[in-house]
Amino acid sequence: MTQAAFPQVRIVPMRMLKPETAERLLNTLTGITGIRRMIIHGPGLPATVPYGPARGSPNPHSDRRAIQIGDAEVALRVQVGEVILEVEDAPVIEEIRSHCDDFFTEFSYQLQEGRFMKTAPTLVDYAKFGPDADETIIGLADPRSGEGPVVIRAPR
Amino acid sequence: MAYKPQYGPGTSIVAENRRKQMNPGQKLEKVRSVTDEDIVLILGHRAPGSAYPTAHPPLAEQQEPECPMRRIVKPTEGAKAGDRVRYIQFADSMFVAPSQPYQRTYSEMYRFRGIDPGTLSGRQIVECRERDLEKYAKELVETEMFDPARVGIRGATVHGHSLRLAEDGMMFDMLQRCLLDEDGIVKYIKNQIGEPLDRAVAVGKPMDEKWLKAHTTIFHSLAGTSYRDDAEYIEYVQRIHSLRTKYGFMPKEE
Repeated sequence: MTQAAFPQVRIVPMRMLKPETAERLLNTLTGITGIRRMIIHGPGLPATVPYGPARGSPNPHSDRRAIQIGDAEVALRVQVGEVILEVEDAPVIEEIRSHCDDFFTEFSYQLQEGRFMKTAPTLVDYAKFGPDADETIIGLADPRSGEGPVVIRAPR
Repeated sequence: MAYKPQYGPGTSIVAENRRKQMNPGQKLEKVRSVTDEDIVLILGHRAPGSAYPTAHPPLAEQQEPECPMRRIVKPTEGAKAGDRVRYIQFADSMFVAPSQPYQRTYSEMYRFRGIDPGTLSGRQIVECRERDLEKYAKELVETEMFDPARVGIRGATVHGHSLRLAEDGMMFDMLQRCLLDEDGIVKYIKNQIGEPLDRAVAVGKPMDEKWLKAHTTIFHSLAGTSYRDDAEYIEYVQRIHSLRTKYGFMPKEE
Protein backbone atom coordinates (compact mmCIF):
# COMPACT_ATOMS: atom_id res chain seq x y z
CA MET A 1 0.00 0.00 0.00
CA THR A 2 1.12 3.54 -0.66
CA GLN A 3 2.86 5.26 2.18
CA ALA A 4 3.03 9.03 2.27
CA ALA A 5 6.73 8.75 3.04
CA PHE A 6 7.60 7.52 -0.44
CA PRO A 7 7.57 9.98 -3.34
CA GLN A 8 5.92 9.01 -6.60
CA VAL A 9 6.56 10.10 -10.17
CA ARG A 10 4.90 9.52 -13.50
CA ILE A 11 6.71 9.34 -16.84
CA VAL A 12 4.36 10.54 -19.59
CA PRO A 13 5.84 10.32 -23.10
CA MET A 14 4.23 12.44 -25.82
CA ARG A 15 3.67 9.30 -27.89
CA MET A 16 2.32 5.91 -26.86
CA LEU A 17 5.21 3.46 -26.69
CA LYS A 18 5.68 0.34 -28.75
CA PRO A 19 6.57 -2.79 -26.76
CA GLU A 20 10.19 -2.63 -27.95
CA THR A 21 10.61 0.97 -26.79
CA ALA A 22 8.80 0.25 -23.53
CA GLU A 23 11.12 -2.71 -22.98
CA ARG A 24 14.18 -0.52 -23.50
CA LEU A 25 12.82 2.21 -21.22
CA LEU A 26 11.92 -0.20 -18.43
CA ASN A 27 15.28 -1.93 -18.66
CA THR A 28 16.92 1.48 -18.32
CA LEU A 29 14.84 2.08 -15.20
CA THR A 30 15.71 -1.28 -13.62
CA GLY A 31 19.33 -0.11 -13.51
CA ILE A 32 18.32 2.56 -10.99
CA THR A 33 18.39 1.48 -7.36
CA GLY A 34 15.64 2.87 -5.16
CA ILE A 35 12.57 2.14 -7.24
CA ARG A 36 10.06 0.34 -5.04
CA ARG A 37 7.06 -0.21 -7.25
CA MET A 38 6.03 0.47 -10.81
CA ILE A 39 2.79 0.47 -12.82
CA ILE A 40 2.64 0.29 -16.59
CA HIS A 41 -0.49 2.17 -17.54
CA GLY A 42 -2.35 2.73 -20.81
CA PRO A 43 -5.36 1.76 -22.89
CA GLY A 44 -6.09 -1.97 -22.87
CA LEU A 45 -5.51 -4.42 -25.72
CA PRO A 46 -7.98 -7.25 -25.03
CA ALA A 47 -7.44 -10.77 -26.34
CA THR A 48 -10.97 -10.94 -27.69
CA VAL A 49 -13.17 -8.25 -29.22
CA PRO A 50 -15.13 -6.96 -26.19
CA TYR A 51 -18.18 -5.54 -27.93
CA GLY A 52 -19.72 -4.82 -31.31
CA PRO A 53 -20.88 -7.27 -33.94
CA ALA A 54 -17.57 -9.20 -33.79
CA ARG A 55 -17.80 -9.63 -30.00
CA GLY A 56 -15.95 -12.66 -28.67
CA SER A 57 -13.81 -13.25 -31.76
CA PRO A 58 -10.03 -13.28 -31.31
CA ASN A 59 -8.27 -9.92 -31.47
CA PRO A 60 -4.72 -10.36 -32.78
CA HIS A 61 -2.65 -7.28 -31.94
CA SER A 62 1.08 -6.93 -32.54
CA ASP A 63 1.54 -4.75 -29.42
CA ARG A 64 0.13 -7.32 -27.01
CA ARG A 65 3.14 -9.46 -26.26
CA ALA A 66 5.57 -10.41 -23.53
CA ILE A 67 8.56 -8.18 -22.83
CA GLN A 68 11.69 -8.97 -20.86
CA ILE A 69 12.45 -6.57 -18.02
CA GLY A 70 15.58 -7.45 -16.09
CA ASP A 71 15.24 -11.10 -15.16
CA ALA A 72 11.45 -11.17 -15.39
CA GLU A 73 9.03 -11.60 -18.25
CA VAL A 74 6.04 -9.27 -18.27
CA ALA A 75 2.99 -9.92 -20.44
CA LEU A 76 1.93 -6.53 -21.79
CA ARG A 77 -1.83 -6.18 -21.94
CA VAL A 78 -1.89 -2.43 -22.60
CA GLN A 79 -0.38 0.04 -25.00
CA VAL A 80 2.17 1.76 -22.79
CA GLY A 81 0.97 5.32 -22.22
CA GLU A 82 2.69 6.13 -18.94
CA VAL A 83 4.87 4.56 -16.26
CA ILE A 84 4.11 5.30 -12.62
CA LEU A 85 6.93 4.79 -10.15
CA GLU A 86 7.22 4.80 -6.38
CA VAL A 87 10.74 5.55 -5.24
CA GLU A 88 12.68 5.48 -1.99
CA ASP A 89 13.60 9.16 -1.82
CA ALA A 90 13.91 12.39 -3.83
CA PRO A 91 17.43 11.88 -5.29
CA VAL A 92 16.15 8.80 -7.14
CA ILE A 93 13.73 11.07 -9.01
CA GLU A 94 16.61 13.13 -10.33
CA GLU A 95 18.33 9.95 -11.48
CA ILE A 96 15.15 8.88 -13.29
CA ARG A 97 14.96 12.33 -14.88
CA SER A 98 18.50 12.16 -16.19
CA HIS A 99 17.90 8.66 -17.62
CA CYS A 100 14.67 9.84 -19.30
CA ASP A 101 16.38 12.94 -20.72
CA ASP A 102 18.84 10.64 -22.46
CA PHE A 103 16.16 8.16 -23.50
CA PHE A 104 13.48 10.37 -25.06
CA THR A 105 15.26 11.95 -27.98
CA GLU A 106 12.74 11.51 -30.80
CA PHE A 107 9.78 12.94 -28.91
CA SER A 108 9.38 14.73 -25.60
CA TYR A 109 8.10 13.47 -22.27
CA GLN A 110 6.92 14.81 -18.95
CA LEU A 111 8.03 13.70 -15.52
CA GLN A 112 5.31 14.54 -13.03
CA GLU A 113 5.57 14.28 -9.27
CA GLY A 114 2.48 13.58 -7.19
CA ARG A 115 0.38 10.72 -5.84
CA PHE A 116 -0.60 8.28 -8.54
CA MET A 117 -1.09 4.98 -6.70
CA LYS A 118 -4.00 3.80 -4.60
CA THR A 119 -3.88 4.85 -0.96
CA ALA A 120 -6.66 2.55 0.32
CA PRO A 121 -8.12 -0.73 -0.88
CA THR A 122 -11.42 -0.39 -2.71
CA LEU A 123 -14.45 -2.64 -2.40
CA VAL A 124 -13.27 -4.63 -5.41
CA ASP A 125 -9.85 -5.14 -3.83
CA TYR A 126 -11.55 -6.36 -0.66
CA ALA A 127 -13.78 -8.72 -2.64
CA LYS A 128 -10.89 -10.12 -4.69
CA PHE A 129 -8.07 -10.25 -2.16
CA GLY A 130 -9.97 -10.49 1.13
CA PRO A 131 -9.28 -8.66 4.39
CA ASP A 132 -5.73 -9.98 4.83
CA ALA A 133 -4.37 -9.00 1.43
CA ASP A 134 -0.73 -8.15 0.97
CA GLU A 135 -0.86 -4.36 1.10
CA THR A 136 2.16 -3.90 -1.14
CA ILE A 137 0.30 -5.29 -4.14
CA ILE A 138 -2.93 -3.31 -3.76
CA GLY A 139 -3.33 -1.02 -6.73
CA LEU A 140 -0.46 -2.57 -8.67
CA ALA A 141 -2.43 -5.04 -10.74
CA ASP A 142 -5.98 -5.06 -12.05
CA PRO A 143 -7.92 -7.14 -9.48
CA ARG A 144 -10.30 -8.34 -12.21
CA SER A 145 -7.52 -9.76 -14.40
CA GLY A 146 -6.50 -12.49 -11.96
CA GLU A 147 -2.84 -11.70 -12.61
CA GLY A 148 -0.53 -10.63 -9.83
CA PRO A 149 2.36 -8.18 -9.99
CA VAL A 150 5.77 -9.20 -11.31
CA VAL A 151 8.82 -8.95 -9.10
CA ILE A 152 11.90 -7.55 -10.86
CA ARG A 153 15.21 -7.89 -9.10
CA ALA A 154 17.74 -5.16 -9.75
CA PRO A 155 20.78 -6.48 -11.65
CA ARG A 156 23.78 -7.04 -9.43
CA MET B 1 -29.92 38.91 -54.98
CA ALA B 2 -29.69 35.16 -54.70
CA TYR B 3 -28.71 33.78 -51.31
CA LYS B 4 -25.10 32.63 -51.12
CA PRO B 5 -24.28 30.48 -48.11
CA GLN B 6 -21.15 31.45 -46.21
CA TYR B 7 -20.81 28.00 -44.53
CA GLY B 8 -18.89 29.33 -41.54
CA PRO B 9 -17.01 32.22 -39.98
CA GLY B 10 -13.28 32.60 -39.48
CA THR B 11 -10.15 33.84 -41.15
CA SER B 12 -7.75 31.02 -40.20
CA ILE B 13 -6.71 28.11 -42.40
CA VAL B 14 -8.88 25.82 -40.25
CA ALA B 15 -11.97 27.92 -40.95
CA GLU B 16 -11.12 28.02 -44.63
CA ASN B 17 -10.78 24.21 -44.76
CA ARG B 18 -14.12 23.82 -42.98
CA ARG B 19 -15.80 26.02 -45.57
CA LYS B 20 -14.07 24.17 -48.36
CA GLN B 21 -15.25 20.76 -47.16
CA MET B 22 -18.81 21.99 -46.67
CA ASN B 23 -19.15 23.84 -49.96
CA PRO B 24 -20.47 21.37 -52.55
CA GLY B 25 -19.30 23.74 -55.28
CA GLN B 26 -15.69 23.12 -54.28
CA LYS B 27 -14.22 19.91 -55.60
CA LEU B 28 -12.32 18.03 -52.94
CA GLU B 29 -8.73 17.25 -53.78
CA LYS B 30 -8.20 13.57 -54.58
CA VAL B 31 -5.18 12.38 -52.63
CA ARG B 32 -5.21 8.59 -53.04
CA SER B 33 -7.03 5.94 -54.99
CA VAL B 34 -8.75 2.93 -53.49
CA THR B 35 -10.62 0.39 -55.59
CA ASP B 36 -14.35 -0.30 -55.22
CA GLU B 37 -13.53 -3.82 -54.05
CA ASP B 38 -11.25 -2.45 -51.31
CA ILE B 39 -14.04 -0.23 -50.04
CA VAL B 40 -16.46 -3.17 -49.98
CA LEU B 41 -13.91 -5.22 -48.04
CA ILE B 42 -13.32 -2.51 -45.41
CA LEU B 43 -17.06 -1.89 -45.01
CA GLY B 44 -17.67 -5.62 -44.52
CA HIS B 45 -21.39 -5.51 -45.33
CA ARG B 46 -21.32 -7.87 -48.33
CA ALA B 47 -18.81 -10.04 -50.18
CA PRO B 48 -17.14 -8.23 -53.09
CA GLY B 49 -18.87 -9.05 -56.36
CA SER B 50 -22.04 -10.37 -54.73
CA ALA B 51 -25.44 -8.89 -55.52
CA TYR B 52 -26.83 -6.18 -53.28
CA PRO B 53 -29.30 -7.71 -50.84
CA THR B 54 -32.57 -5.84 -50.90
CA ALA B 55 -34.93 -4.56 -48.23
CA HIS B 56 -37.86 -4.11 -50.61
CA PRO B 57 -38.62 -4.65 -54.33
CA PRO B 58 -37.26 -2.03 -56.75
CA LEU B 59 -39.43 1.09 -56.89
CA ALA B 60 -40.19 0.47 -60.58
CA GLU B 61 -41.91 -2.80 -59.65
CA GLN B 62 -43.90 -1.26 -56.86
CA GLN B 63 -47.21 0.48 -57.15
CA GLU B 64 -46.34 3.87 -55.77
CA PRO B 65 -49.14 6.11 -54.61
CA GLU B 66 -49.74 9.33 -56.47
CA CYS B 67 -47.80 11.89 -54.45
CA PRO B 68 -46.53 15.34 -55.48
CA MET B 69 -43.50 14.97 -53.20
CA ARG B 70 -42.42 11.77 -54.92
CA ARG B 71 -42.54 13.60 -58.23
CA ILE B 72 -40.27 16.36 -56.92
CA VAL B 73 -37.74 14.21 -55.01
CA LYS B 74 -36.06 11.71 -57.27
CA PRO B 75 -34.89 8.56 -55.48
CA THR B 76 -31.15 7.79 -55.24
CA GLU B 77 -29.81 4.76 -57.10
CA GLY B 78 -29.83 2.68 -53.92
CA ALA B 79 -33.40 3.63 -53.04
CA LYS B 80 -34.52 2.91 -56.60
CA ALA B 81 -33.10 -0.61 -56.38
CA GLY B 82 -34.44 -1.22 -52.85
CA ASP B 83 -31.03 -1.70 -51.19
CA ARG B 84 -30.56 -2.28 -47.49
CA VAL B 85 -29.47 0.63 -45.31
CA ARG B 86 -25.84 0.19 -44.24
CA TYR B 87 -23.22 2.40 -42.58
CA ILE B 88 -19.67 3.63 -42.45
CA GLN B 89 -18.20 5.12 -39.30
CA PHE B 90 -15.11 7.27 -38.91
CA ALA B 91 -13.03 8.12 -35.84
CA ASP B 92 -10.93 11.26 -36.25
CA SER B 93 -7.91 12.03 -34.11
CA MET B 94 -7.81 15.39 -32.35
CA PHE B 95 -4.20 15.68 -33.48
CA VAL B 96 -4.96 17.70 -36.62
CA ALA B 97 -6.94 15.06 -38.49
CA PRO B 98 -8.35 16.40 -41.77
CA SER B 99 -11.97 16.15 -40.67
CA GLN B 100 -13.97 15.99 -37.46
CA PRO B 101 -17.34 14.45 -36.57
CA TYR B 102 -19.42 17.66 -36.75
CA GLN B 103 -17.52 18.80 -39.80
CA ARG B 104 -18.17 15.46 -41.50
CA THR B 105 -21.89 15.70 -40.87
CA TYR B 106 -22.09 19.27 -42.20
CA SER B 107 -20.05 18.34 -45.27
CA GLU B 108 -22.03 15.20 -46.01
CA MET B 109 -25.34 16.96 -45.62
CA TYR B 110 -24.27 19.55 -48.16
CA ARG B 111 -22.70 17.08 -50.57
CA PHE B 112 -24.64 13.81 -50.48
CA ARG B 113 -28.28 12.81 -50.86
CA GLY B 114 -30.34 10.28 -48.94
CA ILE B 115 -28.09 10.01 -45.88
CA ASP B 116 -28.65 9.78 -42.14
CA PRO B 117 -25.55 10.89 -40.25
CA GLY B 118 -25.04 10.39 -36.53
CA THR B 119 -22.56 12.68 -34.82
CA LEU B 120 -20.76 11.90 -31.57
CA SER B 121 -17.75 13.46 -29.87
CA GLY B 122 -15.17 11.12 -31.29
CA ARG B 123 -16.87 9.31 -34.12
CA GLN B 124 -19.32 9.96 -36.86
CA ILE B 125 -21.52 7.40 -38.54
CA VAL B 126 -23.39 7.84 -41.79
CA GLU B 127 -26.15 5.50 -42.89
CA CYS B 128 -27.65 5.21 -46.34
CA ARG B 129 -28.60 2.74 -49.06
CA GLU B 130 -25.77 0.29 -49.69
CA ARG B 131 -24.78 1.23 -53.23
CA ASP B 132 -24.95 4.94 -52.39
CA LEU B 133 -22.86 4.25 -49.31
CA GLU B 134 -20.10 2.61 -51.33
CA LYS B 135 -20.00 5.62 -53.66
CA TYR B 136 -19.90 8.11 -50.78
CA ALA B 137 -17.39 6.04 -48.79
CA LYS B 138 -15.05 5.99 -51.76
CA GLU B 139 -15.23 9.74 -51.99
CA LEU B 140 -14.68 10.17 -48.25
CA VAL B 141 -11.64 7.87 -48.26
CA GLU B 142 -10.00 9.04 -51.48
CA THR B 143 -10.19 12.77 -50.91
CA GLU B 144 -8.56 15.16 -48.49
CA MET B 145 -11.16 14.33 -45.82
CA PHE B 146 -9.18 11.21 -44.93
CA ASP B 147 -5.72 10.47 -43.61
CA PRO B 148 -4.67 6.83 -43.20
CA ALA B 149 -2.93 7.43 -39.87
CA ARG B 150 -5.18 9.93 -38.08
CA VAL B 151 -8.57 8.82 -39.34
CA GLY B 152 -9.89 5.33 -38.67
CA ILE B 153 -12.76 3.50 -40.33
CA ARG B 154 -14.25 1.90 -37.25
CA GLY B 155 -17.68 0.38 -36.98
CA ALA B 156 -17.26 -0.60 -33.32
CA THR B 157 -14.69 -0.07 -30.52
CA VAL B 158 -13.74 3.36 -31.79
CA HIS B 159 -11.76 4.51 -28.72
CA GLY B 160 -8.64 6.48 -29.64
CA HIS B 161 -9.54 9.88 -31.06
CA SER B 162 -8.45 11.80 -27.96
CA LEU B 163 -5.40 9.70 -27.08
CA ARG B 164 -1.80 10.46 -27.84
CA LEU B 165 -0.62 9.01 -31.13
CA ALA B 166 1.56 5.91 -31.23
CA GLU B 167 5.26 6.22 -31.91
CA ASP B 168 4.78 5.61 -35.62
CA GLY B 169 2.11 8.33 -35.80
CA MET B 170 -0.91 6.01 -35.94
CA MET B 171 -4.01 6.73 -33.88
CA PHE B 172 -4.59 4.16 -31.11
CA ASP B 173 -6.89 1.32 -32.13
CA MET B 174 -7.63 -1.45 -29.67
CA LEU B 175 -8.51 -3.81 -32.53
CA GLN B 176 -5.56 -2.76 -34.74
CA ARG B 177 -7.66 -2.69 -37.89
CA CYS B 178 -4.89 -1.03 -39.82
CA LEU B 179 -1.12 -1.23 -39.65
CA LEU B 180 1.65 1.01 -40.85
CA ASP B 181 3.59 -1.47 -42.95
CA GLU B 182 7.36 -1.43 -43.45
CA ASP B 183 6.91 0.11 -46.90
CA GLY B 184 5.27 3.14 -45.25
CA ILE B 185 1.77 2.31 -46.51
CA VAL B 186 -1.17 1.88 -44.17
CA LYS B 187 -3.00 -1.39 -44.69
CA TYR B 188 -6.33 -2.51 -43.31
CA ILE B 189 -6.09 -6.08 -42.09
CA LYS B 190 -9.55 -6.14 -40.51
CA ASN B 191 -12.86 -4.76 -41.69
CA GLN B 192 -14.51 -1.89 -39.84
CA ILE B 193 -15.98 -4.08 -37.10
CA GLY B 194 -12.72 -5.97 -36.49
CA GLU B 195 -13.14 -9.19 -38.47
CA PRO B 196 -9.92 -10.26 -40.20
CA LEU B 197 -9.80 -9.71 -43.97
CA ASP B 198 -8.60 -12.33 -46.45
CA ARG B 199 -6.12 -9.86 -47.89
CA ALA B 200 -4.68 -6.58 -46.68
CA VAL B 201 -6.25 -3.45 -48.14
CA ALA B 202 -3.82 -0.60 -48.77
CA VAL B 203 -5.15 2.92 -48.21
CA GLY B 204 -2.00 4.88 -48.95
CA LYS B 205 0.75 6.63 -47.07
CA PRO B 206 0.03 8.79 -44.02
CA MET B 207 0.18 12.46 -44.92
CA ASP B 208 3.03 14.49 -43.46
CA GLU B 209 2.70 17.00 -40.66
CA LYS B 210 2.87 20.02 -42.97
CA TRP B 211 0.03 18.74 -45.16
CA LEU B 212 -2.08 17.90 -42.13
CA LYS B 213 -1.65 21.36 -40.65
CA ALA B 214 -2.65 22.89 -43.96
CA HIS B 215 -5.73 20.68 -44.38
CA THR B 216 -7.04 20.16 -40.86
CA THR B 217 -10.45 21.28 -39.67
CA ILE B 218 -9.74 21.21 -35.94
CA PHE B 219 -8.23 23.93 -33.80
CA HIS B 220 -5.46 22.61 -31.56
CA SER B 221 -3.21 25.01 -29.70
CA LEU B 222 -0.35 22.51 -29.39
CA ALA B 223 -0.51 20.55 -32.62
CA GLY B 224 -1.85 23.08 -35.12
CA THR B 225 -3.68 26.40 -35.27
CA SER B 226 -4.92 27.81 -31.97
CA TYR B 227 -8.59 28.73 -31.67
CA ARG B 228 -7.66 32.02 -30.00
CA ASP B 229 -5.78 33.07 -33.11
CA ASP B 230 -9.02 33.28 -35.08
CA ALA B 231 -10.65 36.46 -33.77
CA GLU B 232 -13.56 36.31 -36.21
CA TYR B 233 -14.49 32.78 -35.14
CA ILE B 234 -14.42 33.77 -31.47
CA GLU B 235 -16.53 36.87 -32.15
CA TYR B 236 -19.12 34.72 -33.95
CA VAL B 237 -19.28 32.05 -31.25
CA GLN B 238 -19.52 34.70 -28.53
CA ARG B 239 -22.35 36.40 -30.41
CA ILE B 240 -24.30 33.14 -30.66
CA HIS B 241 -23.62 32.44 -26.99
CA SER B 242 -24.75 35.91 -25.96
CA LEU B 243 -27.92 35.79 -28.07
CA ARG B 244 -29.04 32.39 -26.87
CA THR B 245 -28.35 33.32 -23.27
CA LYS B 246 -30.43 36.45 -23.60
CA TYR B 247 -33.17 34.47 -25.31
CA GLY B 248 -33.20 32.18 -22.29
CA PHE B 249 -34.83 35.07 -20.41
CA MET B 250 -37.57 35.24 -23.08
CA PRO B 251 -37.34 39.00 -23.73
CA LYS B 252 -40.69 40.51 -24.71
CA GLU B 253 -41.43 43.71 -26.50
CA GLU B 254 -43.95 45.80 -24.62
